[in-house]
Amino acid sequence: MSNFTAEDKAAITSLWAKVNVEDAGGETLGRLLVVYPWTQRFFDSFGSLSSPSAIMGNPKVKAHGVKVLTSLGEAIKNLDDLKGTFGQLSELHCDKLHVDPENFRLLGNVLVTVLAILYGKEFTPEVQASWQKMVAGVASALASRYH
Amino acid sequence: MLSAQERAQITQVWDLIAGHEAQFGAELLLRLFTVYPSTKGYFPHLSACQDAAQLLSHGQRMLAAVGAAVQHMDNLRAALSPLADLHALVLRVDPANFPLLIQCFQVVLASHLQAEFTVEMQAAWDKFLTGVAVVLTEKYR
Repeated sequence: MSNFTAEDKAAITSLWAKVNVEDAGGETLGRLLVVYPWTQRFFDSFGSLSSPSAIMGNPKVKAHGVKVLTSLGEAIKNLDDLKGTFGQLSELHCDKLHVDPENFRLLGNVLVTVLAILYGKEFTPEVQASWQKMVAGVASALASRYH
Repeated sequence: MLSAQERAQITQVWDLIAGHEAQFGAELLLRLFTVYPSTKGYFPHLSACQDAAQLLSHGQRMLAAVGAAVQHMDNLRAALSPLADLHALVLRVDPANFPLLIQCFQVVLASHLQAEFTVEMQAAWDKFLTGVAVVLTEKYR
């Protein structure tokens, strides 16, 4: 589905090399849960999600965010085969976790805003375009084995 | 319904944009056209040559409307009625495009404000802009 040009791959890999997954993971998942509070429905076991500061400071949120971004990091090494990379995770999210794929798109969009925060002017329209393509590809791959 | 805190967040961010509507608006449009090329169809005159002056001019107009929405947060329907008519009768932008514009708006805010773009600001602005989009498409049918 997504064809990544050489420029896309360069924009994605060079930016990712600078990302601190420890920090960005918690920030990304935290922002998702605050900005789109209905996404909290999947995280009843995470403890306090009662306020933005509770969410952003929640260690389980941070840990899970790191897990998600680490997985994304693996995908970045395999941009030409996102479906293959995410096949099993797709089945898991469908069969066990019952996550509406719309949530993957929301998370991807939040990640893009977090990258914009981190990189400011460097996050040009062209770089944003490559990353939106990236997160759209991941979302699609994660939804690919839904049935 | 916007809470008092949300209103404060919206105004706080707007105070940082006010005076720079043209620049922010031009960047918003540039991001929209670059990231979501299908949106260019709604701006034929603008997206063909992407003349800087035209982007600034149209960007200014769009952000001025956002500014008006900020001033009238409590009564968007009345304040945006002429724009709602325009979108329903003339422009007829498919409602699916507004989330794309909102995403680009968030990225403009995030890339300019960086660490100052708190999670509360992001949440308030997403809610606010989504409300604006609802009003602009409300008269479609």
